[in-house]
Amino acid sequence: MDQATGAIRAHRLDRLRDRVRAEPPTTPIVATRVTALRDLGRAETLARVLGGHVVRCGSAAIAIVESRTRLPADLGRLRDLPDPLRPDQPIVCLDTETTGLGTAAGTLPFLVALGRWQADEFVVRQLLLPDQPDEPAMLDVLERHIPPDAQLVSYNGRAFDWPLIVSRYRLHGRPAPDHAAHLDLLGLARQLWRHRLPDARLASVEAGVGGVRRHGDLPGALIPERYFQWLRGGDASLFTDVLEHNRQDVVSLALLLRILSQDVLPERDGRAAMGAVQPQDLAGLGRQYARRGRPDDALACFDRALERLPPTWRDRDLQDTINADRARALGRLGRRLEAVSAWEAVALEGGPMAPIAWIAVAKSLEHVARDPVAALGAARRADALAFRSRFLGRPQPQIERDLARRLPRLIRTARARSLRAASAA
Amino acid sequence: MRIHQPQPTAEVLRGLLAQPDVSAAVTAHRVLPARAAQLAPIPGWIDPRLRGALEDRGMPALYRHQVDALEALRGGEDILVSTPTASGKSLCYHLPVLQAIAEDPSARALYLFPTKALSRDQLAEVRELGDRAGMQLQADVYDGDTPAPLRGRIRAAGQIVVTNPDMLHAAILPHHTAWFQLFEQLRYVVVDEAHSYRGIFGSHVANVLRRLARICAHYGSTPRIVCCSATVGNPEALGRTLTGRPVRVIDRNGAPSGERHVVVLDPPVMDRRTGARPGPSGLARRSALAFLRAERQTIVFGRSRVQVELLLTTLREQLREGRGPLDRVRGYRGGYLPSERRAIEAGLRTGDILGVVSTSALELGIDIGRLDVAVLAGYPGTISGTWQQMGRAGRRQDVSVAILVAGAGSLDRYVASHPDYLFEASAEEARLDPENIHVLLAHLRAATFELPFEPGERFGASSADDLLAFLAEEGHVRQADDLRWYWASENFPASEISLRVAAPENVLIIDTGPARPRVIGEVDLFSAPTLVHEDAIYLHESRQYHVDRLDWDERKAYVRPVDVDHYTQAELAVTLKPLDIFDEAALGDATRSHGEVMVSSLATIYKKLKMDTHENLGWGRIHLPETELHSTAWWLSLSPAATVGWVRDDLDRALVGAGRALRTVACLLLMSDPHDLGVVAQVRSPHLGRPVVYLWETVPGGVGLASRLFERTPELLSAATDLIEGCDCERGCPACVGPGAELATLASPRELAARLLRSLGDVRVAA
Repeated sequence: MDQATGAIRAHRLDRLRDRVRAEPPTTPIVATRVTALRDLGRAETLARVLGGHVVRCGSAAIAIVESRTRLPADLGRLRDLPDPLRPDQPIVCLDTETTGLGTAAGTLPFLVALGRWQADEFVVRQLLLPDQPDEPAMLDVLERHIPPDAQLVSYNGRAFDWPLIVSRYRLHGRPAPDHAAHLDLLGLARQLWRHRLPDARLASVEAGVGGVRRHGDLPGALIPERYFQWLRGGDASLFTDVLEHNRQDVVSLALLLRILSQDVLPERDGRAAMGAVQPQDLAGLGRQYARRGRPDDALACFDRALERLPPTWRDRDLQDTINADRARALGRLGRRLEAVSAWEAVALEGGPMAPIAWIAVAKSLEHVARDPVAALGAARRADALAFRSRFLGRPQPQIERDLARRLPRLIRTARARSLRAASAA
Repeated sequence: MRIHQPQPTAEVLRGLLAQPDVSAAVTAHRVLPARAAQLAPIPGWIDPRLRGALEDRGMPALYRHQVDALEALRGGEDILVSTPTASGKSLCYHLPVLQAIAEDPSARALYLFPTKALSRDQLAEVRELGDRAGMQLQADVYDGDTPAPLRGRIRAAGQIVVTNPDMLHAAILPHHTAWFQLFEQLRYVVVDEAHSYRGIFGSHVANVLRRLARICAHYGSTPRIVCCSATVGNPEALGRTLTGRPVRVIDRNGAPSGERHVVVLDPPVMDRRTGARPGPSGLARRSALAFLRAERQTIVFGRSRVQVELLLTTLREQLREGRGPLDRVRGYRGGYLPSERRAIEAGLRTGDILGVVSTSALELGIDIGRLDVAVLAGYPGTISGTWQQMGRAGRRQDVSVAILVAGAGSLDRYVASHPDYLFEASAEEARLDPENIHVLLAHLRAATFELPFEPGERFGASSADDLLAFLAEEGHVRQADDLRWYWASENFPASEISLRVAAPENVLIIDTGPARPRVIGEVDLFSAPTLVHEDAIYLHESRQYHVDRLDWDERKAYVRPVDVDHYTQAELAVTLKPLDIFDEAALGDATRSHGEVMVSSLATIYKKLKMDTHENLGWGRIHLPETELHSTAWWLSLSPAATVGWVRDDLDRALVGAGRALRTVACLLLMSDPHDLGVVAQVRSPHLGRPVVYLWETVPGGVGLASRLFERTPELLSAATDLIEGCDCERGCPACVGPGAELATLASPRELAARLLRSLGDVRVAA
């Protein structure tokens, strides 16, 4: 049977070949390899052309390119981040270049950059995979660079780079290296800076916040093809701008850590009023704290942000939003009276957050003050505002849904209460 | 006299057959004797908890085939269980899987079902069994509807993962590193409804299973395979081709059944000159009515959605007199929403629903319990389809009845006049071709993406090296210095392959009648132009809806309920373009070929037809874009020598007539459903410049019928000639070349078609 199917297969393949050959080839086939390269080996060629060295593990080898950037930084405050980093444990910035998007088994990370501070220098080591069979060496070296107490820092690495690396280890039947923490700066950057940037890509953030200007940067979409060109026998110099792109990504991570530690976090405490940090940045930081269940830190951020709003500030909506966030944080902290008065202030302001604020006031009146009649009054204010919003073409379905349940209940309890009061009288 | 009165099934049948016009129509009445259950004790090694669960269910012993399955698997064999509908096939895999989990809770199993509905049914059953056994079973469906938070849990800890081949292909295998816990501990792979994996779908699935086997080997597991199939003619070959391993066929059915009556009814001819016969609906309705009035649970199978809806309407109308159980008679077909279908299935199981009128949507193993009576309004087109539908009737103890009412179609005519064909012909063979070079290469790409190939590694039965070298030429695959083959492309190959070929695009049908418009159903894109064009009357649960607007770009049809006495029928203009010739060969003065084609169909006009008389009440135009279908076709092109002396108009009519006869014969020859083949006759093909008859496969991508027709062309031609020459009509009728009601001065189409086919006379000798 094997012989028979083998024969059928060969016959069909031949016919297919005939048909395909009748058409002009669609992609040029790079058949010949640079002979010098074969003599020297891929890893050595890469190391020689790109200025690095070779690390061997058995028959596999990778090229490592090291670069140093002067980047003095005081990282002590990183321990106060919503997702804290301990300055006494190694911080390893990580970024990969891959042969595709997605973390499926056929996507290969062929370049991994690891950056660490050594005194005032930020040292980047780039591990470059010379060929697909060399991957075991890549995994070995990577393991050595990620000690168990390492704190990884990445940009979208929790969703992409790290799962992909884990997937490679599993593919080779070995465990991925352990590490102590992983700070993905994408989420934090989005909260802090997205409001003043066109998008939250690393390139936009480093330019808008860190003032980095890249020159002749290689667009990320072109990177996979560079690697395939190299595999098909292309020149090692194809990697020059891939390496530069990848190095800059990791250096930008370091830069963002420095900005967070030296500018943003001190600003929270009102200690270094520098123009670099905007009130909205602080509000974003506050929301990130709130998400991590740290309302006290959140409150500090909101207070500081409100304080920093210029007196001539025209944007009432922003103030309104921060006030609401602040009221919520107070509530979480259990400071009920302050929370209620904060909500009342937002409610009476009549801004976009007013309906939510009235609902919060109603909740407090119903459950804390036990005054359903007053609570009903507050809920009706919310209802009137929601109605107005809908009338103006900006319906707030979530609030309408809440009120659809809340109003009838309050009407019932308020009526019961007044009946009881009447009968008691 | 009360019209509605509970009566035993056998008595109702006796009464029905005593009616003179019914008895005149009987061409066969066979009684299949009752079968006692063949039981075997539950094997001693079964976990006591499972034994308890079975006893709890009232099963102190198992059917023989269930024990056969258990013992074969225990002995390390892969199996294919092929026993009739509702014989307890699913226990053949639930039990060994639960036993494996009982022995080792880290053991895992993968269940594959062709449809989501079946996944849910079987999940419910295995969970129930697990609960009775007091096992903490982690069993879940993993498909497109599975919520994201649940997905991670299923990957990490799902003991039984229930999914479909499409999901395995596109979401699980390419991400195998995220599923390593499953693959490391995989003990069983269950392939249920294996007979549905034939044709192009089956060829894909066989390759998906090859990929699965590679991944399992990588993670060090060698799961046993359990296939379950309806009756097919070639169970061993099906199992072996699909799984790539020898399988032991388990077919000693031990389930009991009561006495079964199978009756074939042939409505008498109305007009011998035109060969006109009534449709099957009339007799089918009368038969069903008799049983429904006697409170016997009855299923009526119609051939088309329209027929189902019409049958349902008239059945309900007639049940209305004497206040019959009309609310307990429901419709069931593809366009209904899943929730609605679930409710009907449950109603049938509990007996709340007495009757259901269905298309073959109910054919596949959906659990509706066992009914008293099955009435088939028209021959379903295949023998195994017929037995599957008839199998819906079959009480374990009591008498059951299956009635086939032949329609006016040519296949129906054949079966009605040769009922032995039904009882003696073996079931169709399920054919698939995992070595289909396009399918094979596509999955080889996906497999290389998943794991590099070792030099000399097999994919299927033989080495993949040559194929990989071919793929390397196009650049997506490369051989590195270690001689392994690696994926070397940005593309995600699994996303480029659809296992079913057909795009899963549907048109939603929205009822604008109620205050809040609601979705009442959907139709597939290729049939939308004929079913929900503007001004069409769309039937749903026997309610009529008028299509007010069809938003083609948004894929939405807006309808409102109406009450009118007509229905609509659309006509299609079909054009066909060959794209690739797989093979061709000379055949006398003609050339037979098969290959890939693009079929464009354009809905042109619709007719309004009166509900009961089918009288034409008017027509309108349909303004919709062409829909295109990628498929395969067989065709016969005539050389100039074959058509010497033919007048163009005559040749045209000869080709059309011969085409119809060829299609009829092709369906019998391949035992396929007549709807699976379309016919196009071109007196001068724009692509070949010659007269051509095409038989094209209506299933997107084809299911391999065209290549079989290519192999059997001589038989096909001689049988078509026999059919035309042997017909007892005068100038042509629907059973041979199509209606012959033309001007008497013209040559009869029947004569023309016969002459054309005879002119290829040498061929018949060759056959």
